[in-house]
Amino acid sequence: MAIEDPIVTGLAGGWKHIDASQLTQDQTLEADVVIVGSGAGGGVAAEIMAEAGLSVIIVEGGPLKSSESFNMEERRAYPNLYQQAASMKTKDKAIGIFQGRAVGGSTTINWTTSIRTPENALRFWAEHKSVEGLSKEALAPWFDKMEQRLNITKWPFEPNRNNMALKQGCEALGWDYTVIKRNVAGCWNTGYCGMGCPVNAKQSMLVTTIPAALDRGATLVSRAKVSKIEHHNDKVYALKAQAFTESLRPSGVQLMFKARHYILSAGAIHTPALMMRSQLPDPNKLLGKRTFLHPTLLSGALFSDAINGHSGAPQSIYSDQFVWQDGADGELGYKLEVPPIHPVLIASKSLGYGQSHAELMAQFNQLQVTIALVRDGYHEGSPGGQVLLTDKGYTLDYPLTDAFWRAARRAFASMAELQFAAGAQKVLPMSEGMPYLPSWQAAKEAIAEMPLAPLKTVVASAHVMGGCPLGEDTSQAMVNSQGRSHYLENLSVMDGSLFPTSLGANPQLSIYGITARNASLLASELSGGV
Amino acid sequence: MNRRTFLTTALVGTGALALGVNLYHPPQVRVSASLDQSHRLLFSLLVPVFLDGALPNTQSLRVAAQNRTLDAIVATMDLLPDESREELEQLLELLESRLGLLLLTGNMTPLLMRQPQELVAMLEAWRSSFLDLMVTAYQGLRELVLASYYSCPEHWTRLNYEKPRLFN
Repeated sequence: MAIEDPIVTGLAGGWKHIDASQLTQDQTLEADVVIVGSGAGGGVAAEIMAEAGLSVIIVEGGPLKSSESFNMEERRAYPNLYQQAASMKTKDKAIGIFQGRAVGGSTTINWTTSIRTPENALRFWAEHKSVEGLSKEALAPWFDKMEQRLNITKWPFEPNRNNMALKQGCEALGWDYTVIKRNVAGCWNTGYCGMGCPVNAKQSMLVTTIPAALDRGATLVSRAKVSKIEHHNDKVYALKAQAFTESLRPSGVQLMFKARHYILSAGAIHTPALMMRSQLPDPNKLLGKRTFLHPTLLSGALFSDAINGHSGAPQSIYSDQFVWQDGADGELGYKLEVPPIHPVLIASKSLGYGQSHAELMAQFNQLQVTIALVRDGYHEGSPGGQVLLTDKGYTLDYPLTDAFWRAARRAFASMAELQFAAGAQKVLPMSEGMPYLPSWQAAKEAIAEMPLAPLKTVVASAHVMGGCPLGEDTSQAMVNSQGRSHYLENLSVMDGSLFPTSLGANPQLSIYGITARNASLLASELSGGV
Repeated sequence: MNRRTFLTTALVGTGALALGVNLYHPPQVRVSASLDQSHRLLFSLLVPVFLDGALPNTQSLRVAAQNRTLDAIVATMDLLPDESREELEQLLELLESRLGLLLLTGNMTPLLMRQPQELVAMLEAWRSSFLDLMVTAYQGLRELVLASYYSCPEHWTRLNYEKPRLFN
């Protein structure tokens, strides 16, 4: 059965798409609104602006790829769809970061977990970060709208065995767990969301809001990286971009974009980096600072039965047992989830080489993996990282603090306890020097003493947040609570860089909901409404 | 010419010699020593160490898997952003020079002249080093080799992993 590729169909139907790699001459393009980035923020903003009758240009640094080319192989997906071919790391190389770089941004490659912004986060932002108008009640209609738009519903089927272990462990221990809501329609339950949905079931920006905006006449420019925001006297007057070749290196062709209003949705790291490179006003030196990652720890477990963690919806259960346990600004909490298990991901995010590594890989289908996503940015000992500009681009300096390592030790213990409760035969915390642990008792003792350190303990992230915080107090916010710049009247930010802390939840729905609200307010203003 | 310049010229300028290519050249590795821009020879030494236990035992399959991995490594390196690739190139060039070997491993014996267990000892020393630079060198090579090997569907048999066939 062939699956219709909406991108192929749309392009054949006359969508305005410019693949900048094919340009041979410099160009200037104009619209009411120019949006930088096509992920969770840019996609939602594009649809809302186009619906309001505004002309829209979406500029994306990555390529336009679609289901036709999603072949469920990591060797194709990572270079085509991820920042730095999925090899991005923090400055000291202690944290590996997965972030999308293609039309649809990270929504093209995420695992579909859709969670409303936790009330604890919203309350903390209101009380400590001068955020206004983003209470649970105020955001509810926007979340309703986006849940309806993207078919976000509770996963109605049995979790795969990898997620089932998380559920069983929680049940055995009496821990909290939740069945995940996913943005899918007609999901085939294959487990390859992270490589681009091969059947267009995932309701990513690639197949929903971006096509809707293009249907209304928006222009999409792919493989064009905005390199500078030109501004003068409190106004942005143009964006400069470099066209990229097919291999995403500058081709020498320059692009210029002009608009009444500019929206930055390039994601945490790239939005603040672009603002820093353009020397935008930042009197309190906030840009790029307080960047958060939900730094994540991994615990492997071998089961006697087949786990087949590559097969089936990658995330369908999570546990919030430990996320807010000590209060928002108490000891760092952590959310328990599972990742999909594919060869390159597991080969690189495990430890060692040679015989020991080969033995682990030989038990690939018996391997269950639990992850703990640490909620950073609330505790005073968790200030996050800082985006730094380099000669050739940027880097993220994210020191892992004592407060993080204390949480890591608790998280390894929780994961081991959970995995044994779910029936694991042995557990392997992903940190140098740790052997397979044969029982919860042995694990408890070993984890209490285990050495934890950057480069010794495997730490990964798929949630980049912050660096351009929202709020009303300019001493701690770059943009107001509606995402409007405090300094440039025709500039907005709509992406995960707005968050003043991490969320304690997977970020896509938070970006969808907050963008839907802020973009609607902006569209109303730009189109002459109240 | 001062002594430091002389040493650098004499020891670093002859990468192929330092690697031992003039002394021994494994016949199964498709490489032209004088044109080895992509460090295939160096990786042909490291691949069997990193993948000990994973590579097939049958000689012909083993050679094919190694060559496929070398191709994948070259392809992977080509995809890295400039800064990462330059860092990696620096490391590889150090490993191909005698002075670099002395710095990184404490002796000048070309890698080709070392026994597999000596290469393991080298990697283990880096892995447990108190210098972050050495640890990142180990991790960079480890991730590159393992990710490149497991990116090839031909190497998934041992994992009992295959992607679903959706449309046939």
